[in-house]
Amino acid sequence: MENKTHESIVGDQFGSQAGAYLASPVHARGEDLDRLARLVGTRPAARALDLGCGGGHVAFRLAPAVGQVVACDLSPDMLAAVAAEAVRRGLGNVATEQGLAERLPFADARFDVVASRHSAHHWHDLEAGLREARRVLRPDGLAVFMDVVAPESVLGDTFFQTIEMLRDPSHVRDYSVREWRRAVESAGFAVRSVACHRVWLDFASWTARMRTPEDHVRAIRSLQGRAAAEIAEYFAIEADGSFTIDTMTLEAVPTPH
Amino acid sequence: MTDRVPGIDPKLMEILVCPVSKGPLRYDAERQELVSERAGLAYPIRDGIPIMLPDEARRLDEEGAQP
Repeated sequence: MENKTHESIVGDQFGSQAGAYLASPVHARGEDLDRLARLVGTRPAARALDLGCGGGHVAFRLAPAVGQVVACDLSPDMLAAVAAEAVRRGLGNVATEQGLAERLPFADARFDVVASRHSAHHWHDLEAGLREARRVLRPDGLAVFMDVVAPESVLGDTFFQTIEMLRDPSHVRDYSVREWRRAVESAGFAVRSVACHRVWLDFASWTARMRTPEDHVRAIRSLQGRAAAEIAEYFAIEADGSFTIDTMTLEAVPTPH
Repeated sequence: MTDRVPGIDPKLMEILVCPVSKGPLRYDAERQELVSERAGLAYPIRDGIPIMLPDEARRLDEEGAQP
């Protein structure tokens, strides 16, 4: 068999599923988006970057509150869907651009806000992506990183990465809050706040969104069935495989060079 | 597709640089490309979306070659 690059796997995974991500309630709503909106407030002159925009939910949420939003993603189909949805919603200040988080095509210090949601767990290199976020952010800017987080326990971490990889071959790593803090700080930020939210995932739509093959679905269900009691409890695994995860909203500001 | 005019958002153009060299870009309206002389790469613009990926860019030393 011929193996594909990580970028093309990410593109394939998300390209044909753009509509599912646009419509997914897990992605379209959330306490993290509400918190983001509160943190950003109203900044009519600000330029914001939605880094790894996916279905564009950060861009749509921020567009009415800021002057301009740039939505950046690796998947051209996602970007086309975001551009069309922005037009449909009458949001004339959303621009789209295809790029890699680790190699952003923006000049230094051009953004007042950089926000990234449910994207970093697909990046090849978290620290490189965070350094780029830091580079394009103004010294007085605000960064908000939102993602699914792994449990701090090693066993829970391994379990979670395994089912994530079975579900989605473009998965790289869900980081723990501790790993996030360390990576954000070493990229030149100071962490201002971290808020965690539990999010319930419906097993059928969670796997359908990624078109997880049937043999992988069975493997996930088997692992869930054999999981240690503390794992089953942490993830609140239900009879049909639905479970609950932690997500994080981390607010950071640049530290002086 | 929408009836969007091909081209690039001028506000986006103000902040874009080459992702490889971080150097300036020149907009080639005829070819619908953003040209990075420093990196020797031309990034395509498709449906108004600039494709800022080195792997998708045309190499300038292969002038005339199809991307």
